[in-house]
Amino acid sequence: MARPSYPSSLIADLITARLPWEQTKRIMSDYKDADRFDKYIEVLQASVPWQEQIVLPIGEHLYIVQKGTVRVVKCTCGQEFGDYHQNWKLSALIRVRDTPASLEAIYPGPQKPDPNWMEIREYICPTCATLLEVESVPPGWPVIFDFLPDLESFYEVWLGRPLPNG
Amino acid sequence: MTQLQSSSAATAGAPIKLREMLEQCEVRLAETGCYDGVTKLTLKAESPLKYESLHTRLRSSVVSARETSKRISASPGVREVGESVVGLYTPEGDSVVFSFGIMVHVHTMSRFIKWMVRNDYQDDPGIRPGDIFANNDAFIGNVQVPDVMDVVPIFYNGELIAWAGAVCHELEVGGVTPGGDVYLAQERFTEGLFVCAEKIGENDQIRRDYLIRVERNLRSPIYWILDEKAKVSACLEVREKVLELVEEVGVDYFKRATKEYIEEGRRAHLERMKVQTVPGRYRGATFFGHLYKNKPGVLPMANKDQLVPIPVDLTIDRNGLMTLDFEGTGPWGWNSNNCCEAAMEGGFFVSLTQFMDFDGKVNDGAWLATRLRLPSGTWTNPDSIMVATACSWALLLPAFGTYHRLMSRAFLARGFKEEIFVGQVNTPFFEGGGISQYGTRFGGSNFELAAGGSGARGIMDGLDTGYAGWNPESDMGNVEIWELSLPILYLGRKIWPDSAGAGRFRGGAGFTSLYKIHHTPMFMLTTAIHSGKVFDNAGMCGGYPAPTALYHYAIRDTNLTELIAAQKPLPHFEGDPHDPDPRRLVQGDFEFSEGGYIGRPFKDGDLFEHFYNAGGGYGDPIERDPELVRKDLENGIVTPRAARQIYHVDAHSDDGRTYNVDVAKTEQLRSEERRQRLAGGVPVSEWRKQERERILNREFVPEVLEMYRDSMHLSSKWKDEFATFWQLPADFSI
Repeated sequence: MARPSYPSSLIADLITARLPWEQTKRIMSDYKDADRFDKYIEVLQASVPWQEQIVLPIGEHLYIVQKGTVRVVKCTCGQEFGDYHQNWKLSALIRVRDTPASLEAIYPGPQKPDPNWMEIREYICPTCATLLEVESVPPGWPVIFDFLPDLESFYEVWLGRPLPNG
Repeated sequence: MTQLQSSSAATAGAPIKLREMLEQCEVRLAETGCYDGVTKLTLKAESPLKYESLHTRLRSSVVSARETSKRISASPGVREVGESVVGLYTPEGDSVVFSFGIMVHVHTMSRFIKWMVRNDYQDDPGIRPGDIFANNDAFIGNVQVPDVMDVVPIFYNGELIAWAGAVCHELEVGGVTPGGDVYLAQERFTEGLFVCAEKIGENDQIRRDYLIRVERNLRSPIYWILDEKAKVSACLEVREKVLELVEEVGVDYFKRATKEYIEEGRRAHLERMKVQTVPGRYRGATFFGHLYKNKPGVLPMANKDQLVPIPVDLTIDRNGLMTLDFEGTGPWGWNSNNCCEAAMEGGFFVSLTQFMDFDGKVNDGAWLATRLRLPSGTWTNPDSIMVATACSWALLLPAFGTYHRLMSRAFLARGFKEEIFVGQVNTPFFEGGGISQYGTRFGGSNFELAAGGSGARGIMDGLDTGYAGWNPESDMGNVEIWELSLPILYLGRKIWPDSAGAGRFRGGAGFTSLYKIHHTPMFMLTTAIHSGKVFDNAGMCGGYPAPTALYHYAIRDTNLTELIAAQKPLPHFEGDPHDPDPRRLVQGDFEFSEGGYIGRPFKDGDLFEHFYNAGGGYGDPIERDPELVRKDLENGIVTPRAARQIYHVDAHSDDGRTYNVDVAKTEQLRSEERRQRLAGGVPVSEWRKQERERILNREFVPEVLEMYRDSMHLSSKWKDEFATFWQLPADFSI
């Protein structure tokens, strides 16, 4: 069965939630498009205000990009968070909701967790102030390293081409 | 005894024991990497049409059998919301095809069949044509006691060529507390009626002594008994159809084709991994709060509150093999919320059927291409079969909800944003027993829980009141059905406002039901699968967790009759959580209770409000389209408070029904929120130094300290990672 392929403009509409549901559903129910990753990167690359090559998206606003000979995590706004082998959260701003008063804005009255048992950590981009991730964990829980991709295997084995190296 | 013949072409014709067939099948998988040594899909290559046609007709047979059996069942759980599943298995116990329904049990039933095979049931008690075997023991192959499964062997010319199996979820199991999920079960011996891989029938008839045992050990045995008949009818219908097809295609073709279907399922799964994901390591965690301290009926060893961590590591290697690892999770406890290997495998299996392997050859093949690591002694894999698993979904659902988020990260990286799903959430039970509205003794469950909110998706909101992780055919059932089966009248069943986890795309909304206890002098109700004090779901990419249903309202000795006579306002749902309607509008003995509920029996005129969970959000809430917030306001999904404080949308209404959004003011509010974030945020590096001091000083409540102590005790690897992250001295301990 031949796998479908969609124009980049359609992928752009799909990932930005502009595609009508009927069309989205058809795409979801069909065989997966083999060239999705390339179209995806093409659309994302055109949407960011910087030039570095996107190697892999890892969040709604976060990308691993090729910066010279190193790969760093970068926000849509241009803020950089360092080498992708390190957890980008360690270079972010954090706002912690760990009191009844600070939790009240999101979870009113009895709907809030007991802050002695659980706190809400908000990881914020220091430049654009986008809320990049939220953790709901007990106090003292180590910052979660969400994703460490195996870029070498992904590019060289799965995509069958060299990993960008600047 | 009827001899079984090998399904292997190499030894065809030679008598062979079923256990040896299973062992050889596993050896051939290990040696060749292919299921049962099927290295080539020969039949598929020879005639794809014949091959696919047989698969489709086998699948039709199990789907059809389930629909027929639902009409035989008397249980509203099966008839109304479809709490059943039917499957076809190889002689060794691997699933070939299965129906819609509670698909988690497709794999647990596989464990059950293999348990009988490994324990030489062929010799004793014997496996003969017409036999019926049943099981609900989680440590043999199940999730919890109410999931009772029946299997029948399918013989052709004296040879066992397959098994047909069916599962129904029972609404009452005769445990220490009435209902199916037995809130107060604290060890195996209080969970209810166990059927442990038992031969319950011969010659296609269920044994009378078995039915007598059921009749005398349950509070409402009619459901279980008619479900047995429904399951046996389903199995016999599948058997009849399979034998008809075997006559048509030939037995050798059938045996080879069923093996190829599984191998094709295995290959397709690995291929999908390479198409839809990215290799690497993914991490997440969620948590669950057991609140049992000083609750009525709790045994001394269980009389404690406990915080359970559920860290989940997912690794996808360069071959597409995924390994799910629960290293660092907490110990099993003296409560009903434990799991076991079979239940965890079932939870993994049903996740696979929804995430990766929902079309084509959906069977145990996908399962064979995965690895699951469950540390011994933890709630995922207790080191004793005496541990209770009556409410095992409590931790199972959050665990695999986390898995859903990890897979969603992979979909995001690869570009399939439309497949992102922020994960399943818990489904709290409302059940009980006592004197029914008809004046008889009874026990039962309300299965409207099969329709919570789902996690958000990557390009749209989650499903409102329309999702349950264990049954993709989610359905809450009609109010009138639950009013017929329990002594309750609904004063309201309504979307729970602000329950959806906030985000650019919000989670699906949960709902709440406010019951009047009706026409009964005694209704002993409990709720189960409720985390207390902590959320057991999470958001993703800036979305917030949904506010897990942490509490209940109970009002006894009310003035409801007077209110109705005077035509005064009645409560229909919570209203303002700071001043809930059940307390504001009704006089009576008001009780606010956290975690699972147990208390004094209720009677006619009392009130109880129960909450069903919503899903976590995706993306930054201030990136949400204000127009979507306006619609949510008009639909009662968010309140004006949340619109302002969480989404920072300036919305106004003159009539409380229709809203207008001021776009310019909304942008101002959002700009101000960005300023607040930058002003209020601190660099993680600074915060980390402060937190390290707190850890060195062990400034945590006892339950948090115990959680860390347990995880460090159970896993030196987790302890090392904890110490490394916080740069703790080598001799640090908690």
